[in-house]
Amino acid sequence: MKLILTYIRRHIGLFATALFFLTVEAMADLLQPAFMARIVDDGVKNADVSQILRYGAIMLLIALAGAVSAVVRNIFSSRTSQLISKEFRSDLFQKVQTLSLENIDRLQPASIITRITNDVTQIQEFINGCMRILVKAPITCIGAIVLVVIQTPQQIPMLIAILAITSALIAANMKLGYPLFGVMQKKLDRLNNVSREFLSSIRVVKAFHAESRETEKFDTASYGLATASTSAMRVMAVFSPLINLTVNFGVVVLLWLSQHQNSMEIGRLMASVNYMTQILFAMGMISNILNTSVRAMASANRISEVLNETPAQKSPDAPKRPQWRAEITFDDVSFAYAGAGKEALNHISFCAKPGETIGIIGPTGSGKSTLVNLVPRFYDATKGCVRIDDIDVKQIDEEALRSAVAVVPQKALLFSGTILENLRWGRENATMDEITRAARIACADAFITRTADGYETRLGQGGVNLSGGQKQRLCLARALVRNPRILILDDCTSALDAETEAIVLSGLRRHLQDVTVLLISQRISTVRKADRILCLDDGVVQGFGPHTELMTFCPTYQAIYHSQIGGEKNG
Amino acid sequence: MADSNMTPPPAQIAANRGGIRQPAVKPRDLKGTLLRLWKMTKGSRNGLGWILLFSALASASAILSPLVIGEAVTAIDTGNSVTAILLLLAGLYLGDWFIRFLQQFLMASIGQKMIHHIRTRLFDSMKKLPLAFFDRRQHGELMSRLTNDVDNISTTISNSLTQLLTYLFTIAGVFGIMVFLSPLLTAAALVGVALIFLLTRTVTSHTKKLFSAQQQILGQLNGQIEETVSGENVVKAFCREKQVITQFEESNEALRKVATQAMIWSGYLMPLTNVINNLSYVAISIISGLLAVKGYISIGMISSFLLYARQFARPFVDIANIFNTFQTAVAGAERILDIMDETPEPPDDADALPLSSPKGDIELKNVVFGYAPEHPILKGISLKIPAGTKTAIVGSTGAGKTTIINLLTRFYDVDSGEILLDGHDLRQYRMTDLRRCFGVVLQDSALFAESIKSNISYGHEDASDAAIREAARIAGADSFIQRLPQGYDTVLTQGGLELSQGERQLLTIARAVLTNAPILILDEATSSVDTVTEQRIRNAMLKISEDRTSFIIAHRLSTIKDSDLIILLENGMIAEQGSHQELMALGGKYASMYMTQMGE
Repeated sequence: MKLILTYIRRHIGLFATALFFLTVEAMADLLQPAFMARIVDDGVKNADVSQILRYGAIMLLIALAGAVSAVVRNIFSSRTSQLISKEFRSDLFQKVQTLSLENIDRLQPASIITRITNDVTQIQEFINGCMRILVKAPITCIGAIVLVVIQTPQQIPMLIAILAITSALIAANMKLGYPLFGVMQKKLDRLNNVSREFLSSIRVVKAFHAESRETEKFDTASYGLATASTSAMRVMAVFSPLINLTVNFGVVVLLWLSQHQNSMEIGRLMASVNYMTQILFAMGMISNILNTSVRAMASANRISEVLNETPAQKSPDAPKRPQWRAEITFDDVSFAYAGAGKEALNHISFCAKPGETIGIIGPTGSGKSTLVNLVPRFYDATKGCVRIDDIDVKQIDEEALRSAVAVVPQKALLFSGTILENLRWGRENATMDEITRAARIACADAFITRTADGYETRLGQGGVNLSGGQKQRLCLARALVRNPRILILDDCTSALDAETEAIVLSGLRRHLQDVTVLLISQRISTVRKADRILCLDDGVVQGFGPHTELMTFCPTYQAIYHSQIGGEKNG
Repeated sequence: MADSNMTPPPAQIAANRGGIRQPAVKPRDLKGTLLRLWKMTKGSRNGLGWILLFSALASASAILSPLVIGEAVTAIDTGNSVTAILLLLAGLYLGDWFIRFLQQFLMASIGQKMIHHIRTRLFDSMKKLPLAFFDRRQHGELMSRLTNDVDNISTTISNSLTQLLTYLFTIAGVFGIMVFLSPLLTAAALVGVALIFLLTRTVTSHTKKLFSAQQQILGQLNGQIEETVSGENVVKAFCREKQVITQFEESNEALRKVATQAMIWSGYLMPLTNVINNLSYVAISIISGLLAVKGYISIGMISSFLLYARQFARPFVDIANIFNTFQTAVAGAERILDIMDETPEPPDDADALPLSSPKGDIELKNVVFGYAPEHPILKGISLKIPAGTKTAIVGSTGAGKTTIINLLTRFYDVDSGEILLDGHDLRQYRMTDLRRCFGVVLQDSALFAESIKSNISYGHEDASDAAIREAARIAGADSFIQRLPQGYDTVLTQGGLELSQGERQLLTIARAVLTNAPILILDEATSSVDTVTEQRIRNAMLKISEDRTSFIIAHRLSTIKDSDLIILLENGMIAEQGSHQELMALGGKYASMYMTQMGE
């Protein structure tokens, strides 16, 4: 709630204007029956046509005033709520950009996306609802009560009774209903999970002929949701007609108490009956708003979780810029992912000299990707430090660091836009020559030019219209466009066939002689030509040296070698 | 105002809050769809008749209470006793309460039963669809069919049906009484209704375009959010934070502009309707006042009439809205019916062959196949694979390796030619029996958020614990499972994401081992496993592939050297085939691939 208020406060002028006109609108509604009462009591009772016309004219003016306020209020409320929701989205998105990957891992990307999209919409609807009915309902309610009291003062006890009973009913409804809605949400999540699993594993489901098992799971989840929803709705079914009945009985009591009143005030009685029905309507609205507000609060909480997240990494206070000889030193580095008990890297020390290519090999889960992620500061070492040209990476200006270090990630990620736009991610002002050169080294130029639109070919979201190998080559080209001083290749040629891979690697060797390269692979054939090879297992360095040396001294490397090349001599 | 008995249910208020929300998506065939839905809900809609009856009855109190109140007012005015009249009114309200309670209470369970029913029916037809269906569609979209659309259909359709019924009765009843009370005042009320109609028309014609523009920009914005957030490491690696923010801000501002316009226009509906109501209230007040002065009508009648005028106008506005949501829901129903209408995997022939103890002889005869018929992937493959032999399929990406597997398991059917298993076309066997013949390990390791044990025994629920452990041991997964806190009972809450890629793959291999199927298929099963683990798996494969026909697809040629037959696919045709030694001696494409991979 505090969060929503902060945003409203930024546009307090707009918000207040909307509320002001909303109040006028509500008053206009409220005054009508009061003047109607005058028409009856002063006009009809005295058979005075001029009085009827006079009050009629006043009512007309009030109606028009109401119309104008409604129009103005609508414009203001729409503007304000859209403005606020835009700011919410903006702030969230920008906040996410400042977060470290560690934060994003923890919050989970999918969840962040729903927060920016769905949760913001929830809040927007709530704020807009505020300016439409949330405020109008209490105003109408209070106004109607006041007017009933003025018109027919003897009704005060009845009103108090009604208010007490309806408040109790609404409170009971909330108390009983909300936990049930919570259960419902959980069951819905479960159903979603079951469907997602089914869809993404459809091949396995069919191959193992497990349709009946999946059906059973789905049926159970669906039934669970149906049961939970039924109980939640039943609570509503009990309370909402009861609220209706309470106010309706108020009308009966009102008429009962008025039966002996002066017939000269019959118009006022009629007005009071009218006001009672307005109260009834407002009550219905209020209980509804409380429902939506609970949802909006939940959304606001989820949003503030993101906004209050402090980036796990700190930017250096006095950022330094290295000379970019590009010497990388790992000095007794250990690292554990947040929340994971076990360390992914254990006391790693090695040094990559400028221009050297370091192959990194090791079984899955041995910490290869984790190790290279520390260089561009995707994560920070838990212990020890990573240095470039003898400067701790934590001290290096972040943008300078990431402009000099290019990463080709394991998972080829492209963005919607043209191929050219994607390659320009590497460097905004790269010339076309530089781009085609990079594409040629990455063996991507050939297939790009073969497409109908060449470099202007539009890629769908995530590059859906490309094969895995093509995506990997584009990602490589993108990194090359950057003209990096340090290049990190994280098993990024896995989808290429052996031939293409060989061509790409030899191209890299030729063109990037003064660039320091960290080359991760699972294949001996990929890393064996590296200047030196770092052999990792379980986060620990097993050996570090050129191929021939490791073949003599490093048993882990030998094991990998023999498993891949077999007993045979080199080809 | 006199909406006393017309407090709409919450869903309706929510839908009204923004005036008109979304443009109604027009259904293609309203009547036909409704009829099919009606047939579909058979068995789950007991009691719906009662609900409809209650909805009709619920209008009674709306129709009668103003008349009774008017009587009471007249009685008070003339000094007569009101006791009897008020008792009647109280009775009316009590009846109204009871009916509403029954209606909503019944609706809660019947509505949910119908949802559950439709949902499981949809799932039932979905699971029978061929793989091609799932490959063509986005999973997110199918998911929203299963959850949101179904919810929408039943709640909206049943809610709006009952409301529509209540409203129609109310309008008819109120109109009758109004004409009976005073035709002149009725005419005044009708003018108001006509104005509301005009207003709704104007507003919808504007909002329609605005809403579709809003939808489009929203889609674009959501796309941007999705790809940026899920590609955050690349954004960071390339320092693109500023650019993506700028891009985002552009769409965000565009969305704000359109959405504001759409909201303003749609927002006019509610308050202006209210204003028109107020105007007709004024008109009726003046006219009835004048009439009363002349003595044509009683004061009680003024009171009744003012209440009626409100009740008469309100449903018209709501009906327009309800009809919109109703149409959208029916259009949603059509999307669901479309899925149900998809051709399922062809059912087994009546004389389909059982396959109780298959040997595993496989023959491909001139097989042609393409995912789109105009782009054939396999262009005439003929192959003979005797039972119990090991076959490896190699070739570059896109050569059609996985496609052959898709055809063998009948995920897809051949376009022409045939595939024989033990001398009969695959299509002659019962699908269940056929798929039982294959133990499959696929490229992406699909695991479920269940225990390790039930992940391994997937599709073979009756497997004993000992058999599961044995399978895991053969696959080389036993040791890491033992190390997990709950061992085999460890629940993979994140669907396996808590394991390494290699470990995940080992589990799916264990799953294939457990099937004890005569034919084993490993589609790049070892590509994401480190080579030491791969060696373990290969040894295991050697052990279990004795007496079995097996297919291995692999990038790494070292993996498949010892196969009986190696097939090199190129452009959908078999370029070379033979054993490793034969192909090396041939000195063709395979030999050069092998050399490259070995590093020279």
